[in-house]
Amino acid sequence: MNMQMELTVMAGNAVQRQTVLSLRETIARIEDRGVPGCVRSAKTADPAGFRRGKEEATRRKILPLGVPQFDEVLQGGLPLEGMMEIRNAETRDAGAAAGFVAALAVLYQRQKKENGRLAPVLWISQTLAACEAGQPYAPGLKAYGLDAERFLFVSARTVKDALWIAETALSVPVFAVVVLEIRGNPACLALSESRRLHVRARAGGVPLLVLRQAGEEEASSAFFRLQVKPAPAGERPLPDGSVLCGSIGHPAFHLLVEKSRRQASDDIFLEWNAHDRRFYSLDERRSAALQTNDEPTDPVDPLSASADRPRRAQPMGRLLAFARAS
Amino acid sequence: MRLVALDTFAERIGLKRGQGAAEARAMCPSLDVIAADPAADQAFLEALADWCDRYTPLVALDGTDGLFLDITGCAHLHGGEKALISDVLSRLFSLGVEARATVSSAAGLSWAVTRYGDADVIAPGDGDPVLAPLPVAALRLPADTAAALERVGLKQIGDLLEAPRAPLARRFGSSLLLRLDQARGFEDEPLSPRLPVPSFSAERRLAEPLQDEEHILELTRHLARDVRSSLERHGEGGRLFELLLFRVDGRVFRVRAHAAVPLNDAVRIAALFRERLQAVHDDLDAGYGFEIVRLSVLRSERLDPAQQDFSGAPDESQPLAAFVDKVSARFGPGCLMQATLAESHLPERAGGFAAVTDVAAVLRTAALEEKAFPENRPLRIFAHPEPVEATAEVPEGAPRSFNWRKTRYRVARAEGPERIAAEWWIDGEDHPTRDYFRIEDQEGRRFWLFREGLYGRETASPRWFMHGVFA
Repeated sequence: MNMQMELTVMAGNAVQRQTVLSLRETIARIEDRGVPGCVRSAKTADPAGFRRGKEEATRRKILPLGVPQFDEVLQGGLPLEGMMEIRNAETRDAGAAAGFVAALAVLYQRQKKENGRLAPVLWISQTLAACEAGQPYAPGLKAYGLDAERFLFVSARTVKDALWIAETALSVPVFAVVVLEIRGNPACLALSESRRLHVRARAGGVPLLVLRQAGEEEASSAFFRLQVKPAPAGERPLPDGSVLCGSIGHPAFHLLVEKSRRQASDDIFLEWNAHDRRFYSLDERRSAALQTNDEPTDPVDPLSASADRPRRAQPMGRLLAFARAS
Repeated sequence: MRLVALDTFAERIGLKRGQGAAEARAMCPSLDVIAADPAADQAFLEALADWCDRYTPLVALDGTDGLFLDITGCAHLHGGEKALISDVLSRLFSLGVEARATVSSAAGLSWAVTRYGDADVIAPGDGDPVLAPLPVAALRLPADTAAALERVGLKQIGDLLEAPRAPLARRFGSSLLLRLDQARGFEDEPLSPRLPVPSFSAERRLAEPLQDEEHILELTRHLARDVRSSLERHGEGGRLFELLLFRVDGRVFRVRAHAAVPLNDAVRIAALFRERLQAVHDDLDAGYGFEIVRLSVLRSERLDPAQQDFSGAPDESQPLAAFVDKVSARFGPGCLMQATLAESHLPERAGGFAAVTDVAAVLRTAALEEKAFPENRPLRIFAHPEPVEATAEVPEGAPRSFNWRKTRYRVARAEGPERIAAEWWIDGEDHPTRDYFRIEDQEGRRFWLFREGLYGRETASPRWFMHGVFA
């Protein structure tokens, strides 16, 4: 009798261990991460010896940017499908955020080049956002490296309309990238809606950039969320290698990583070169100088940095975990 | 207050148009006085004209109280002229409208008999005996001509028919003979229909009225299949479709949908209306249901059948066209815009947005030009430049600091000026010149400011404006 009891308990433990292991495996697959001792299902071959189409599809497609520090945060590069969020804190920084998004759009557009023709870019903007921060300007976009002839713009009266258009656009396989510009933190773009958009974008194989203008940090399903701040630009280089004193050169961005799967060590300073159509890291000396200027008032970090989570400590005083941005 | 309209009962008790209300009330004490509303009458007449679309697409308004229907080739669909007339009158009666109608081979004859005679169908050639006893006013003559005719004793149309034509024309003008000939059918009288006649259309009459939107869409798909065959026969595809919904109580709804490319695919046409019906959802009150549904093609274009290749790759403009259709059906045709560049010095004219008209062109345009563009244009521009208060060197220096939206900005670096003169051939010669500056503030925000007017030459106190923001 006793013996039998022991046996059932042991069997129960084994079942539990198996469950935990399979759950761990599922999490690893969702996070697209190799876990030691855990065989990834994608590697199992077909018994007939053929590779299945699905096997390739499980691997995430990425677009490296060539800036090691930034690529590391993005786990190798920009994802080619799914949702990403870029926000700015104040309306007056809208230029920087729009510039960063437009630069990403240029990269996506050049990547999705088919037989010498570029794919169109769709920019959906809430009318209020376009009124407050200005409309996209075609000559400026062209100067920035975007193909203005294939720039489609929709001004949607309400957020719901904008979401509807975005969702429709994500199911059409023609756009290089869809940009959704929203002002503030509307209630109708909450976690479940962002999840829906993310799933749609992954299903459609289209990258979706959510540009949140003058909005707070908010939980969403995006791959990553960046806050874009303006940064002083470099000076124009002269042919002889020196720079033109007092001039305003290539646009520069100050990025704060708010959500990512990899640890972001520092703030990232990037410069967009419209001629080469790529990002460069702002030179070390200048970003170091900017970093010291930007020192926080309270230098003691309230919580230790975790290896697997965003660097910044979450603001203290918020009680509920689900209200906090992740 | 005077009477403006009479019904049969009022005519019978001897009331007259233009009679004072007090006098009329003395003759008929139970009279209710309602103020005339000509605009509402007109709207009602137009609604009736819409309703008459069920018989023929050629419906013309006649003054404030009549309609012309050109039923050439339509009568047999309703069981002959007699049946058509009784159908019209009984349906109108059940809608509460008192109406009279006549079918004849000439519009003028129908007009005369409807208003002054009583016959419902006049066979071709039988016009003169019917016309003869009617008063001359039945010829749609100007009031003074009719009065002059009566004065000389020509009271009935029969008198005119017998009289010699030349003296009549000399005395009363050629319009009298024209009207007479029109009534007798010797002279052609074109009707101008209210609405253009669709090139293709298909309709369904329903025994059981439809209320559900899904059913309407299902029926639309069937109708689109009917239209498709005639479109295909002509090698055309529709660009503008109209769905007419005739409600049981006589109201008619027209729903239009634009297509980005010529369409003849039934599913795509029905999909257009799916979005449109969603958009007009609140205005489309099904009430007791729709009894007739008609799909018409108002504008069509040449559509060559395309051959699919072996790779099975779909035409790449099709998904984009479907997207454009879907969005513009829901939010209006001007909603989706395409960036445009224009040859102009003024920044607001150089770039703008226009509605997407040619979807294929969006994808087709030639390969990308690897040309260097000037970097001094902003990414975002304000539709209306916003005034700022700037402190700047006089006369032509860059600003040192400025106030924009109640915030003070200190200028760290500035590039400029870029002087842009007004386009005198459009704006006139006294439009001020602008000096543009690219400005970076101390935090690194980059703005595009301009000063309007040149010191001394154009203005004494130039104003500053914020026109755009850079990346």
